[in-house]
Amino acid sequence: MHDSNFSEIAKLNTTHKHRTLADLAVGGQSKVVSVHGDTELRRRLLEMGFVNGVEVTVVRRAPLGDPIEFRLRGYNLSLRRDQARHVYVKD
Amino acid sequence: MTSCCADSTEHLLAAGTITVALAGNPNSGKTTVFNGLTGLKQKVANYPGVTVEKKTGSCKLPNGAVANIVDLPGTYSLISRSPDELVAMEVLRGLRPDTPAPDVVVAVVDASNLQRNLYLISQLIELGRPMVVALNMMDVAASRGLAVSPQRLEAQLGVPVIPVVGHKRKGIPELKAAILRAKIAPLPDFSLPQAMQEELILVGGGLAILGDHEDGKSCGRREYLDRQIALAERLLIGDRADDLKQIWTREPVSSLLEHSAHRLSQLGIDPMQADIEAHYRWIDEVSAATVQSSGSATGAAAQPASHFNRAAAFSEKIDSILIHKFWGLITFALIMGTLFLAIFWLAQPIMDGVQWAINHGGAWAVHWLPEGPLRAMLTDGVIGGVGTVLAFVPQIALLFMFLAILEDSGYLARAAFLMDRLLAKVGLHGKSFIPLLSSFACAIPGIMATRTIENRRDRLATIMIAPFMSCSARLPVYTLLIGVFFAKYGHLTQAGIMLGCYALGIIAAVLTAYFFKRTFLKSVATSFILELPSYKMPQMSQVARQVVLNAGKFVTRAGTTILFFSVVLWALAYYPHLPKDKQAALAASGADDNAIAAAQSGYSIAGQIGHGMEPAIRPLGFDWKMGVGLISAFGAREVFVSTMGITYAVGDTEGGKTNDLQAAMVKDRYPNGRRVWTPLVAISLLVWFVLALQCMSTIAIARRETGGWRWPIFMVLYMNVLAYVASLAVFQLGGLIWHQAV
Repeated sequence: MHDSNFSEIAKLNTTHKHRTLADLAVGGQSKVVSVHGDTELRRRLLEMGFVNGVEVTVVRRAPLGDPIEFRLRGYNLSLRRDQARHVYVKD
Repeated sequence: MTSCCADSTEHLLAAGTITVALAGNPNSGKTTVFNGLTGLKQKVANYPGVTVEKKTGSCKLPNGAVANIVDLPGTYSLISRSPDELVAMEVLRGLRPDTPAPDVVVAVVDASNLQRNLYLISQLIELGRPMVVALNMMDVAASRGLAVSPQRLEAQLGVPVIPVVGHKRKGIPELKAAILRAKIAPLPDFSLPQAMQEELILVGGGLAILGDHEDGKSCGRREYLDRQIALAERLLIGDRADDLKQIWTREPVSSLLEHSAHRLSQLGIDPMQADIEAHYRWIDEVSAATVQSSGSATGAAAQPASHFNRAAAFSEKIDSILIHKFWGLITFALIMGTLFLAIFWLAQPIMDGVQWAINHGGAWAVHWLPEGPLRAMLTDGVIGGVGTVLAFVPQIALLFMFLAILEDSGYLARAAFLMDRLLAKVGLHGKSFIPLLSSFACAIPGIMATRTIENRRDRLATIMIAPFMSCSARLPVYTLLIGVFFAKYGHLTQAGIMLGCYALGIIAAVLTAYFFKRTFLKSVATSFILELPSYKMPQMSQVARQVVLNAGKFVTRAGTTILFFSVVLWALAYYPHLPKDKQAALAASGADDNAIAAAQSGYSIAGQIGHGMEPAIRPLGFDWKMGVGLISAFGAREVFVSTMGITYAVGDTEGGKTNDLQAAMVKDRYPNGRRVWTPLVAISLLVWFVLALQCMSTIAIARRETGGWRWPIFMVLYMNVLAYVASLAVFQLGGLIWHQAV
């Protein structure tokens, strides 16, 4: 699943784990930095608007913690934690 | 392909018919626009070769020309892989032999959600076909304090933009007029990284050299080069649609692409990402120029994500309860519970009414028609069979109505959100929830709805277990069996047992899914991206439309399949007919009407088959009459009830009486005097019906959706063996506990 751009990963600071959408608290907000994962997942996420610089807010989590509801560009979208972890956000 | 030089549809004015494709995001209100344009002149079919629904219709344009409108499946993008999106892309590019390339594309855009909707628009513009934008849901945008200006959007895009409120039918005439003014949008200057632009020119040049020079002669050289560069872009970003296959598999091209991609990745550029980001930069510009939200001076660079507006806040308030950890699940259980109780309780008076009508119809036939096969066929075959089943239409209509309301209001998406974690534990998908829920009405639309599940194995697993959700066709059987033996315990117990049947189905489904997903349907963790549309009041006209459509489908099934089976079954039970002297002899020896009826049944072909089967099903508590019923139920489960009706009533038409089925069943006895129907037998039969796959239509649909016979056959074997074993266990163990010898 992690056949993402190696050059991208190399560019990131690998000494600490990067903050992802899955790490945001409910009500928290951050800007997208990069999107990882296999090609299809990346394409889907990017096409839905998770491009660099977009502001994303965490609206809520489902009762069992998963999936997570986000708000971006004026609409609501749910992602599983597994996918949300592939979207890196600004610290 | 359209000629690259025409830039409007004026030349089509001469033609009598044009093809219009309706494209747009899911939840953009495309369907209401389609309904508004075509009215009742619609047709639903299937795209050959795939299991995607094809909706077409027609309307008259102001100049007298006829527009054939194709309502494409809702899509987010033209490059993605789900079957729906693939078909949409193919139709738009004119790649499908069954659908002509559209002359005009009408893009339906949700005004309250402009940014995300514009992504598809940006791709449609790249297609280069004459286009019109229908700016829908203007009312929703207004209620959110978003001032979306059609004029400014038109200035930005360069195509006619018509404001529309689909579900109120506003703007439709203007839209029709605009179709005649459709224009090819000028290609925006998507700002790609410099290095990527250079690679595009390189690859584009290569394609031009290798390409078909005939093309180059019909347009200017510049135009031709532009098109090759656009082609290069499609290839570089990873578009692998069928029309490109010939190109990127050929040797000079595939090396060119490989080297370009390599050089770009050295620079840290991912073509796919760069392309999408360039589109979104353009979207930001267009959106900023078009939308003004109340409270901000110019609206420039407004970030919709950062402020809440009235209607969105209202949706949020509702969601905070409905998706709450605790309250959400409670509400969910309440809603589902009410649904089922209401169906069981509300429908009863209506059903009684229909039953009364049936009895009178039968009596009328007996009164007016001479004795003989025709009268027998009408009373038992036709009226008895079909009528009994039609009595259940109220229940089914109610179920469809509730489902339609839940879907239209936006609640169903929330339900998928809530249920995803649970479903994921079994290896399924949140998106499986709606197909499975629909299967409670009928597994056929449920199985068809699985095409939104992208992962093939998840999809298969969902299709496999959909028939376990007790469908509406089982309701008549449940009601009959529960009513006969447990009516004396009151409504609550009956509802309880019925809920138990549903629960058994669900448990079987869960265990099956778990087992399958662990073994041969194993797949990698699947993605889950679900859009939660904002809540809206369900449009009762839409709901009514859905109910009528679906209930109508059920009735036509009753009308055709079941009528056919009822008559066939009647014939199997009527012929060969007991000769009159034998009947008289029986009557003389004191046999009552039922015994004569039973003798007739045994004498007929159906009876012979049933008798032959009996040894195999006695251990389950079933006798040969039930055996006949089970076989007939294969055509459609409801037919079981009508078969019972026929098997117990045959022979009584001579005497001019129409038997009440339930009374007849209770009175039935084996030759040794023991009761045929006992509560334990009823339960064993119920278990069978919950678990067995007895529906030819379901098998046919499963075959279509899975693309072969392998899975449907497996389903039949698995479910019926399971049903046999379960019924066996229930009856034998129950017998031991209650000392009822077999």
